[in-house]
Amino acid sequence: MTKPIIEVKNLAKNFGKNEVLKDITEQVDPGQVIVVIGPSGGGKSTFLRCLNLLETPTSGEVDFDGENLTTLDTKRVNELREEMGMVFQGFNLFPNMTVLENIKLAPMKVKGIDDAAATKRAHELLKQVNLDDHADAFPSSLSGGQAQRVAIARALAMDPKVMLFDEPTSALDPEMVGEVLNVMQELANQGMTMVVVTHEMGFAKSVADRVWFMADGYIQENNTPEAFFGNPQTERAQDFLSKILM
Amino acid sequence: MKKRLVLFFALVLALVTGFTAMTTTTANAATDTSLSKVQKKGTLVMGTSPDYPPYEFQATVHGKTKIVGMDVAVGEKIAKDMGVKLVVKSMSFDSLLVALQTGKVDMVISGMNPTPARRKNVDFTHTYYQGGYSIVINKSDKGIYKNKDSFVNKTIGAQTGSTMYNESKKQTSGTTVKGMTSVSDLILALQSHKIQGVAMEKPSAQAYVANNKELAAIPSDFNLSASDTSASVAFKKGSTALVAAANKSVDQIKKQNLVNKTYLPAAGKYLKTNTVNTSMFHYWKAFLTGIEYTLIITVCSVFFGFIIGVILALARMSQGGAIKTGLRWLATAYVEFIRGTPMMVQVMFVYFGLGLIVNLPALTSGIIAISLNSGAYVAEYIRGGINSVDDGQTEAARSLGMSSGKTMRFVVLPQALKNIWPSLGNEFITLIKDSSIVSIIGVSELIFQSNIVRSDTYRGVAPIAVIMVLYFILTFTASRILNYFERRMQHD
Ligand SMILES: Nc1ncnc2c1ncn2[C@@H]1O[C@H](COP(=O)(O)OP(=O)(O)OP(=O)(O)O)[C@@H](O)[C@H]1O
Ligand SMILES: [Mg+2]
Repeated sequence: MTKPIIEVKNLAKNFGKNEVLKDITEQVDPGQVIVVIGPSGGGKSTFLRCLNLLETPTSGEVDFDGENLTTLDTKRVNELREEMGMVFQGFNLFPNMTVLENIKLAPMKVKGIDDAAATKRAHELLKQVNLDDHADAFPSSLSGGQAQRVAIARALAMDPKVMLFDEPTSALDPEMVGEVLNVMQELANQGMTMVVVTHEMGFAKSVADRVWFMADGYIQENNTPEAFFGNPQTERAQDFLSKILM
Repeated sequence: MKKRLVLFFALVLALVTGFTAMTTTTANAATDTSLSKVQKKGTLVMGTSPDYPPYEFQATVHGKTKIVGMDVAVGEKIAKDMGVKLVVKSMSFDSLLVALQTGKVDMVISGMNPTPARRKNVDFTHTYYQGGYSIVINKSDKGIYKNKDSFVNKTIGAQTGSTMYNESKKQTSGTTVKGMTSVSDLILALQSHKIQGVAMEKPSAQAYVANNKELAAIPSDFNLSASDTSASVAFKKGSTALVAAANKSVDQIKKQNLVNKTYLPAAGKYLKTNTVNTSMFHYWKAFLTGIEYTLIITVCSVFFGFIIGVILALARMSQGGAIKTGLRWLATAYVEFIRGTPMMVQVMFVYFGLGLIVNLPALTSGIIAISLNSGAYVAEYIRGGINSVDDGQTEAARSLGMSSGKTMRFVVLPQALKNIWPSLGNEFITLIKDSSIVSIIGVSELIFQSNIVRSDTYRGVAPIAVIMVLYFILTFTASRILNYFERRMQHD
């Protein structure tokens, strides 16, 4: 039996009186692709940000690779964050740096990798996302799809064990969604462990190992895509699916 | 005699006296080591305000500017009699006594009148010169005015806070008395007929009349006690031995009538050579020195102010435990305090206040004070700049494993600086102009130099016009250079 890479136990998160996450206990095994879906404001982003402690849980624990993040000191948390890449809806590329510099920054400043090695690796990653010809461009000159692929390459540059995606295609024009999903699918094929918050049901159906349906601060359903889309158990999920699959 | 004593300076003086009283034991006659100290170091430092010919003023001697005048001759005699070398330090008149209290100078000779108020804070020698007052008028008015009583329904000017100012008010009726801080300004007002007469000391009046054909002097006929028109040398309170030694020299000066016989004529000669050529080009070296110091002060202050600003901004934005809260509170208090007090007071405080602990040269003090001041303003710009960087940038950096320090240094600050570059540029330009404040502690930057040229040449407007143009050239060039860099930063 493989040991889970992420284990969430009784996780709760409040913003003041607003109880966003109420009680979540789930786990992610190595190599799994989890797709988290659910209504807007249901706490999906908050959940994802609790996984790498960008948000501090109010109670409960998040274990990564056997270590309980909520009890670790800042330095160790920083180290573990290296192993969890994150991709944001708004790309968050560094606008004052070229594409290449965006990718090289963390490996050089955090891992201490020398410039030549970091450059070489950055070019490899850019080839992987089909953007090596844009290495010297600044982010403002890229299309949304290109920017998001650079953001993925930037996260991969730290050689993470897990990739977290928070609605990576929601800000994109429809014709650019495909190029980003392709890169993600390839990543999944290579065996990357991924937790993906998305509204792309096609991606969930074809790539996910498990679908987590999240609403009202709970994971309401945890199932295979076939079972979830074919035969949703809860009324909440049936309702949600009927609205988006018209 | 010059007797300007603005309330503020009196306060600073009182404060400093209080400090000194606490930190040093006042020496009495038996244990007074003031004289032996001076003899040991071999120099006697004289403080003076060289804007008052013929008492003290700057002259160009063999291409070099030098402080001369009858007071300097008195100082030289005292130093020589003590067997030490005289060093002359120039600063604004108002700062002289504070400088004496804080040990920046050993004595003050600056046409200073030993008033009872001053006697409370310093010790005076016997009088070395007994002066009197004249009123300077336009030569064309010579028949109209005879003495102080001829100015009914007219205006007389005098240096603010001086004895002549107070006496002119007291001893005339129906006459308006207009106060200005500098004699050159008063003469200018006279020549442009804003005032009809200027009350000043006889030797000064003679100097002005000798150098300006359009002016004439008339007797003032003020009713004055001898002590109101006398000049003495001031020493730090309690330096009995120094005062006694100086008194020997002063008594000789009086006995041999050295001031009238030797010192004043010698000073008059300097005045002549000094004013033969009053063209501004003749003084290009003085202005160049001014530019040099203005730039040194500005560049150093911008550099240190920026570092201080970054530290303050980070302290103000730190969040967390008790230490960080304390830091944040301190930084906030500092910024508020600095922004809520005048820069001039801060400059004075650093020079004289810190001077009690470490003896800092005026230039260093000026740079420290302006850096500390600028830091508070820069901190606010930087804080604004940091806040203007999208939170997503921090999140992206943190999710890549960067610590908060590295995130700040490599991701947030570079973007923040780019955003606030124009504000920082403005701060630089402002500092070029604000650096003029350190003229009050005697740093020879542009304003200070122009005042010297004004009193040397008896020309009121030309030096002001010159530095106005010079300041504009400096600020304009600076803003061009800053724009160039701003454009280069806009690559994305
Ligand atoms: N930093 C914060 N401070 C206060 N409230 C917050 C914060 N972040 C999120 N919330 C609140 O938490 C709730 C859940 O937000 P979250 O962004 O996690 O939902 P979501 O499922 O990702 O929604 P969406 O599909 O719109 O992205 C919302 O009500 C939101 O207002
Ligand atoms: Mg969200």
